[in-house]
Amino acid sequence: MTESYDWMVKYTPQAEWIERRGIMLWLAFFFIELGAGTFFVSAFFGILPIMLTGWLLCAVIGGGFHLAFLGKPQRFWRILISSGWKTSWISRGLFFVFLFLVLGLIHMILSQWANPSTALLVAANIFCFLTIIYGGFAMNYINGIPLWNSALLPILYLISGIWGGAEVTLGLTLAGAGASAGLAAEEWIRLLLIGFLILILIYLISVRYTSQTGQASVRVMVQGKWSALFWIGVVLIGMVVPLITVIFSFFSGLEAIPAAVFYAAILCGLLGDLIVRYLILRCGMYNPLIQSSARTVSVPG
Amino acid sequence: MTRWGMVIDLRRCIGCYSCAISCKQEHFLPPGMFWNRVLINETGNYPTVTKQIYPVGCNHCKEAICVKVCPTRATTRREDGIVIIDADKCVGCRYCVVACPYQQRTFHADGKKEYFPGQGLTEYEAIGKELYPLEKGTVVKCNFCAERIEKGIEKGLEPGKDREATPACVINCPTKSRYFGDLDDPSSEVSTLIKEKRGVQLHPEYGTDPSIYYIT
Repeated sequence: MTESYDWMVKYTPQAEWIERRGIMLWLAFFFIELGAGTFFVSAFFGILPIMLTGWLLCAVIGGGFHLAFLGKPQRFWRILISSGWKTSWISRGLFFVFLFLVLGLIHMILSQWANPSTALLVAANIFCFLTIIYGGFAMNYINGIPLWNSALLPILYLISGIWGGAEVTLGLTLAGAGASAGLAAEEWIRLLLIGFLILILIYLISVRYTSQTGQASVRVMVQGKWSALFWIGVVLIGMVVPLITVIFSFFSGLEAIPAAVFYAAILCGLLGDLIVRYLILRCGMYNPLIQSSARTVSVPG
Repeated sequence: MTRWGMVIDLRRCIGCYSCAISCKQEHFLPPGMFWNRVLINETGNYPTVTKQIYPVGCNHCKEAICVKVCPTRATTRREDGIVIIDADKCVGCRYCVVACPYQQRTFHADGKKEYFPGQGLTEYEAIGKELYPLEKGTVVKCNFCAERIEKGIEKGLEPGKDREATPACVINCPTKSRYFGDLDDPSSEVSTLIKEKRGVQLHPEYGTDPSIYYIT
């Protein structure tokens, strides 16, 4: 929390998208992207029950949080009828989610009771892919917050969305919803986890050298007020635990690891993903309005 | 084409907050909400202390990022350059609040705030709710006192010259450090000041082309 006399004089954290009802948006982005990621991965393996799980995660939980976040949820339809999609990523995102949900639902209905169309599945997956990535673009567009204004953010969200989806798919295959796909999903997780690790490192380093505000944001995250959450929540729980599990499974085989260990690693991975998103929203700071002060102010936290 | 804009002479500003208070009064703003703010920064150590005073408000940018990010087109830029919000269209997604690099937008979350909590609305607050109702769950911001400008023009007055047609923060500045006028008119007072005194915009690197200039 910035003191009122420091507001926009020093680095000022953004609040609207993380404090009070802003928490809803954090959860909305997470569940929308996790649901779409789950649909994307399970559609690749053709497991209908998991596709439905992803669809429900996206539509019911993600959509519910999105509506709960809005100041006027009863007016959300206005986004669909306006021409906002030409320039607004939130508007584009709603179109992507809407089209993904409609096409995905039709595909699942056809798969269950009639002949599914490949073209329909491809179209659903294209919008599913766009659903995963739009949140990153919505944040990347904001040039006042250097932590968000990075071209790597949409890629980071894309990888984390598909990674989360692969984890949910693996978890549900272990529970018996399509055991043959478990091995393949685990291979996806290995690659995506390593990709996520490398990307988050590059992302933080690149933001750190973008501007003084970017540097302050990264410092608050890894050294300041939120460092405990970063090192314990993101690095230890979200990365080290899943990494040890996938390394062990790589050398000993999937069958050698008890299902409980995999479930724990999956939960840790998802929790780490959730915390990363929280920290990116929480540590986003604005450049001070009074330019010369940027050189002399201390970093909050 | 008219483009309303403002020039703030920082050499004259004494940081008295008259602009902030007159704005609150003009628009009956609830507790904690400011459409005009005064930023004060102190640097250095005694006896070489520097104090910077920056009155800030919505910049009514020509390339307003808030207009671009609004998913319902509730935020628009009028032909006269004033960026306004249609409360009936706003869904309260707060993308504009987050996207404004100058942080000049406020989400009106609590419509029941009172200046004296628990004691009911004062007469002033009650009148304000009738005359200038702010819709809860929507985003609000400075509108350059568009009502004053419109009424003034209807009466044949000239904004920036006639008090009745000029924004409240400008006419209430005791040091006359604020000027209002048409930026597109090269002979206007604001254009002349910008040219002669080398007026600067706040953070021009964002590419938003603000309509508020500062003389430093």
